[in-house]
Amino acid sequence: MLQYISRRLLVAIPMLLGAMSIVFFAMRVLPGDPCVAMMGDQATTGALADCNKNLGLNRPLAVQYVDYLWRSLRLDFGNSFRQGYPVSDYIGRMFPHTFILVMASAVVAALVGIPIGIISALKRRNPLVDYPLRIIALLGLSMPVFWLGILLLIVFSLRLDLFPLIGGGDLDGVLAMISSGEVFSQPRDFLAAVADVLHHLTLPALALGFTLAATVSRLSRSAMLEVISQDYIRTARAKGQRERLVVYKHALRNMMVPLLTIIGIFVAIALTGTVLTETVFTRPGLGKMLVDAIGARDYPLAQGAITVFTMTIIVVNLVVDMLYAVVDPRITYR
Amino acid sequence: MALARRAEPVDLVIPRGGEESRGALRSRLRRWLPIGIGLSMAVVMIVVAAAAPLIAPLSPSAQFSDSVLKGPGAIERHLLGTDEFGRDILSRIIWGARVSLEVGLASVLFSFVLGVPLGIVAGVRGGPLETAIMRCADMLMAFPTLLLALIIVTALGGSLVNEILAIGVALTPNFLRLARSLALTIRDQDYILAARALGGGQLRIMARHVFPNALYALVVLASLYIATAIRTEAGLSFLGLGVPPPTPSWGNILSEGRQYIKCCPWITTFSGLAIMVAVLAFNLVGDALRDLLDPRLKGE
Repeated sequence: MLQYISRRLLVAIPMLLGAMSIVFFAMRVLPGDPCVAMMGDQATTGALADCNKNLGLNRPLAVQYVDYLWRSLRLDFGNSFRQGYPVSDYIGRMFPHTFILVMASAVVAALVGIPIGIISALKRRNPLVDYPLRIIALLGLSMPVFWLGILLLIVFSLRLDLFPLIGGGDLDGVLAMISSGEVFSQPRDFLAAVADVLHHLTLPALALGFTLAATVSRLSRSAMLEVISQDYIRTARAKGQRERLVVYKHALRNMMVPLLTIIGIFVAIALTGTVLTETVFTRPGLGKMLVDAIGARDYPLAQGAITVFTMTIIVVNLVVDMLYAVVDPRITYR
Repeated sequence: MALARRAEPVDLVIPRGGEESRGALRSRLRRWLPIGIGLSMAVVMIVVAAAAPLIAPLSPSAQFSDSVLKGPGAIERHLLGTDEFGRDILSRIIWGARVSLEVGLASVLFSFVLGVPLGIVAGVRGGPLETAIMRCADMLMAFPTLLLALIIVTALGGSLVNEILAIGVALTPNFLRLARSLALTIRDQDYILAARALGGGQLRIMARHVFPNALYALVVLASLYIATAIRTEAGLSFLGLGVPPPTPSWGNILSEGRQYIKCCPWITTFSGLAIMVAVLAFNLVGDALRDLLDPRLKGE
């Protein structure tokens, strides 16, 4: 197992390195000069040269590249070109917003997608149940998250005025209260702040969650179909066990392994989804930060965001591979 | 008793003629209905896109100062309403179909043409070449499709060709991996051995024997990814990284309409609906083709 982990880690390193190189060089061939983007078209040549020098952009590309890799290893992504603060500070502030969005939408996707998948697999011979469920899944799969987000905003924010139109609530405040211990001294304030964050989170999580639920339901349907055709399910039925027990005791548990692979795919899709979701709901987060940084040609900020996205996906896939062995003892690693 | 109720039903009685034909009809309907619906929707979309100049009631860029932000049906000539410049939404959506479908079809073709030969070479040749190709593919696979397309299109700038390139490159690893895994199974078949014994060169074997045998599964994958490509294009356009305005694309119509969702929700509603219908059509075709031609891909 340890050998397997170290081998997987060794494979992950060149992957990450390659991904980071792609990001670095893609950002460098961007049309437009970041200094022009910052100072406007009217800036003098001298001012632009100074700006380039300050940002380190006058150095040879190879030097910039090695410097970028070396700093990234220490999670130092440099300073934002526009605001001047360290990129890692931005990422630290934005990460929790994106994290809770992914988690909340995962809950929505699991609560909606897994039951739909299981029911549509178990009732596949009943077209009255299977067809509507498959159509719902197909619609969810075809509905772009930004459109669903706008529809939710039109109905629940603008028409019914139930949810806020923009923003993400005072998540920083909540985290500060947790770290300073104010949670216990002012529980009422804390709960109010948490409620506000959840209030802001509801629509984005529903939009992202529903579009992800479609993928989850399809994958859990095929996972369930695979499991119920196994011999041990036939055996369980043959010994006269109730169908409910067959499903709960035998099928669900064994469905977990194929379902685990979903987590890897899920995180990748969810992170991509946050880019669009955060933009639609004008919510702070890594995705919106990335889009804004690209628009402003803020290389370090964009590089930092993409590196964090890629690292997360690679690490999650690694963890999922490890989890297989925990869930399914039949899997051994060499 | 309990056993009999729960066991899978086994047909021991030979069905009567009427029942059999009804059952066969139902199963045929079940198989062909989704592909029929999907294909007809897709064909309608393609025809609408191709015949946009003939079908669109007005020019997509014509501005009518007397009908700015008018709702559907408020003015007779604007069936689906107008945008902030008084441009006809229906005409813009019809012209927008061109961008979405061109990008959707061309980017999948691009990734097919780039990924499949590389995958087959990797699978058949093996060795360090395979390792090199597959590591490159793994590297690209670390990025989700939209993120990679976003990076590339940002680097190259927003235009139709760049969008096709960006989405095409982002989808390539999927074709490469499937082509390689198919090539790995096909290369050990007896007919490949026979072709080799007859003196067939490696290139000829790849082109004449491996590729045709892998084609079914690859076409199914391609049809599934057209929907992904259309959705990705809409996402890029929505983020302002697609075809630059005033050329209409469904994503940029939706993005522009976002500022007016309070007064004029029809702009975003109809353009989003167009995206959904197109993605749904190609999803239906892809799904049905997969079930018909290649059940191995069920988990994709």
